Amino acid sequence: MLVFKYVKLEESRYISHIDLLRHVSRILRRAGIPVKQSLGFNPHALVFFSPPLALGVGSVAEYLVADTDMDKEEAFERYNASVPNGLQATDVFECEKNPNLQARIVAADYVFDVPYASLPLGDELWIEYDKKGERVKENVRDKVLCQFEQDGKLALRLSTGAVNLRPDRLLDFLRDSMGKRLDCCDVTRTRQYILENEELKDVDNALQNASINR
Amino acid sequence: MDEYVTKFNRLLASVEKPGRYSGGEWNTPDMSGERRGDMCFCFPELYEIGMSNLGVQILYDVVNRTEGFKAERCFAPAEDMAKALKEADIPLLSIETKKPLKDFTVVGFSVGFELLYTNVLYMMDLARIPFRYADRKQEDPVVIAGGPCSVNPEPFADFFDAIVIGEGEEADIELLKRVTEGRERGLCREDILKSLLDIEGVYVPALFKAGDKVKKAVVRDFENAPYPTKPLVPTIESVHDRATLELYRGCAAGCRFCQAGFWYRPIRERSAEKCAEYARSMIESTGFGELSLCSLSTSDYSELEALEDELSPYCRQRRVTMALPSLRISSFKPDMARDSRKNSLTFAPEAGTQRLRDVINKNVSEEEIDKISVAFEAGYDSVKLYFMLGLPTETDEDLKGIADICRRLKSLYFQKRNKKGLNISVSCAVFIPKPCTPFQWEAQISLSEMLRRQNYLRSLLREIKGVSFSWHGAESSVLEAALARGDRKQSYVIERAYALGARFDSWTEKFDWGIWQRAFTDVGVTMEQYTREREEDEPLPWDFIDAGASKRYLLAERKKSREGVATRNCREGCNACGANRLGRCTIC
Repeated sequence: MLVFKYVKLEESRYISHIDLLRHVSRILRRAGIPVKQSLGFNPHALVFFSPPLALGVGSVAEYLVADTDMDKEEAFERYNASVPNGLQATDVFECEKNPNLQARIVAADYVFDVPYASLPLGDELWIEYDKKGERVKENVRDKVLCQFEQDGKLALRLSTGAVNLRPDRLLDFLRDSMGKRLDCCDVTRTRQYILENEELKDVDNALQNASINR
Repeated sequence: MDEYVTKFNRLLASVEKPGRYSGGEWNTPDMSGERRGDMCFCFPELYEIGMSNLGVQILYDVVNRTEGFKAERCFAPAEDMAKALKEADIPLLSIETKKPLKDFTVVGFSVGFELLYTNVLYMMDLARIPFRYADRKQEDPVVIAGGPCSVNPEPFADFFDAIVIGEGEEADIELLKRVTEGRERGLCREDILKSLLDIEGVYVPALFKAGDKVKKAVVRDFENAPYPTKPLVPTIESVHDRATLELYRGCAAGCRFCQAGFWYRPIRERSAEKCAEYARSMIESTGFGELSLCSLSTSDYSELEALEDELSPYCRQRRVTMALPSLRISSFKPDMARDSRKNSLTFAPEAGTQRLRDVINKNVSEEEIDKISVAFEAGYDSVKLYFMLGLPTETDEDLKGIADICRRLKSLYFQKRNKKGLNISVSCAVFIPKPCTPFQWEAQISLSEMLRRQNYLRSLLREIKGVSFSWHGAESSVLEAALARGDRKQSYVIERAYALGARFDSWTEKFDWGIWQRAFTDVGVTMEQYTREREEDEPLPWDFIDAGASKRYLLAERKKSREGVATRNCREGCNACGANRLGRCTIC
C-alpha cells in the first residue's frame, strides 16, 4: 500500500472532490500503476483519500492511498509524469494497511493570504454562511483550535474530517476583523493531523515512523 | 493579455463549477512559443457539453499539430459567469491562455444544433465582437462557423465572415493559414476573404453571388486523416466522459428522416488495425476507464468483430469498459452484456408500424423487434425505445402500433422470465424535416396536432403497466423545424430573440416560447412559412450546396417513401446517391 502526499494548487484547486476521485483513477491508469480491486459485486479500485478540500482552497498536504505492490520510487516517478499541473506528489510513504485517513484526520492547518495579526476569537465565534441555499448561523469557536503565524501570514488550525470547519466559511469573519476581503483561492491547507495518544500528530510524521498502523 | 488574468482568476473563486473555465486539462498542448496565427474554437454550450464534442477535439488537434499555429477553446459561460465577467469588465477569454477572443486571428464557432444559434450571439456579445460580418472592422478577428448546421447555413450566414460547409479537418487549417498570410501582408478584410474562396467547402456570405455553388468539404483519405489520440481529459465531468473512437463516417442505412445519414456521405471506413492502434493510444494517453466505439450505426462497421476481438483482451486487462452505442436490434448478441452493471438496452424503431417504417426506410421488421427477447434471456429487465411522432403519412394507427410493440415486448419478456417485470421507457421526439434528406420538402405537423398526438399516445401507453413515456417539447420542435429550413431573414429573428433574452434555448427550463413568437412577429415572418410543405420545384435556401447526394436522388427517395417502398442498405449494393463524386465511398 502506498500513500502519496500531493498538492492541490493552481488550476487543479478547482477540481471538486467528486471529480478528483475520477481524475485519480485516470492518473493511476495512464501512469501504469496497477491498483488492486475490491472483491465485491461491483469491483472498484482500492484508492482512498484524506478528507475533502473545499472547492477553490489550495493545499500542499493532501493524501491519497493506493493499494499497489509497485515499488514506491517507481510509483512516485510514474505518478508525477502523469498528473496535470497542480496535482504533483511531493512525497510517498509505504504502509502496511489502509491508514483510513478520511476517518482519522481530525485537524488541519490553513494559511490565509493576509499578514499575521492576532484574531479576536473570544469565547464564542458566530459565523454565517450559505448551506444548500440556506443561510446558516453557527458558533464555530470549538472548531478553531488555535491561531499562529506562518511565514508572516495568518494561520488557523481547524477541525477537519467528521467534525469539520471549512476555512472558506471564515472569510466573512476575517474580512470584518482584518479589513481585507479574501477569496477561497487565498487559502492553503498546509498540514493535516491525526489523533495519537490524545495528541495531534502530523500525518507526515505518523506515516514516516509507521506509527499510523499501530 | 495579462491584464485580465489576475482579475479573471479571482472570479473563479465565486462562480459555480469553476472547473469549466480554469483550464489545465491533461493533454493540453504546449501553448508557449511563437505563433504566426491562432484560432479560438468556440462551442456555444457549457463546458461539460462542449468537451464531449468529437468534432471540436479533432479540429483543435489538427491546428495544434501545425507548426506556427495554435488553437485554443472557449465554451459558453454559464449565466453566473457571464454576469461576473460583465461586472468585472472582462471580455470573453480563451481557456488556455486567457486571451480575449477578439484578439485571435480566427474565431470559429461549432454549430451543431439549431437551438444553439442564440448562444453564438451570447458568446460574441461577451467577446465584444460585432454580430454581423458587415459591422466588423479591420482589427476584428475573422469569425467563422462550421459543424452539422452548415447543411443550411442561411439563418446564420450574416453573422459570419466565412462558413466551412462539411468536414473541417482540411479546410479549417488552410483557412487559418490564409487569413494569417493575409494579415502578414497587410491585406484588407475583403481581400482576405477573397483569398478563401477557392478552399473546398468554404462559403463566404459577403461575396456570394446568385448562381454560385459551394461543394461540401469531404475528407477523402479518412484512413490517414488526423485523429486526436491524445484528447483533452475534461477537468469536470462531461456528458460523454470517455475515450471516443470514430470507426467510420457516413451511414449505409438511408433512413429518410436522418440528416446525418445523408450529410456524412460518402461512407468512409477506418481499418480495424488503425482503430485498434488509436484506441490503445487514447487509453494510454488519457487513462479513461471507458472506450466508446462510435459511428452512426456501429453494427454496420464491416470489421467490428475483428476490432472487438483485438480490443477486448486489452480492455479487460486494464479494466476499461467498451461501449458500443448505436447498435441495430438485429445485431444484438447476449455476450454484449459484458458489464454486469448494465441492465438496460436502448433501441430505436422510430415508428410503430411496418407500413410507416417502410415510409421512412427504417429497415427494422417485426421479427427483428422480437429479437429483443434474446436480451431478456441474457438478463435485461429494462428497455428504452425511441420513436418519432408526426412522420409523413402518420395516422393514429401508427401510434397504436407503438403501444402494440410495448405489449408484444411484455409478453415476450414473460415467456422468458417472470421475475421483476419489464420496464419499458418510450421516448418520443417530434419529426423535424431537415435539409439534405428525402423529407426536406415535407411539412411539419402543427403545434396543436403535436399536442393531440402526444396526448393520444400517452393515453394509450398509460393502459400498459410498466411503461413510462417521455416526449420532446412541442414548441421547441416547431422552432427547431423553422430554423432548420430557414433563410437569411432569420438572422434578424435570431438577433431579435437574443435581444429579448433568449439563450440556452436547448435547456427546457431556459426555453422561452413567448420570446421566439415575438421575435418572429417583430421581424415580420411566421414560423408556419418555414414549417410548411415545400413545392418540389421551389428553390430551397440550401440549394447552392453540393452535399453529394443529389437533389434528384432525394426526390426519388421521397417518391418511394410515398409508395411505401424501402431502399436497400448501401452495403447490399450501391443505390447511386451521387455522394461518391465527392470522395470514394469505401463500401460501394
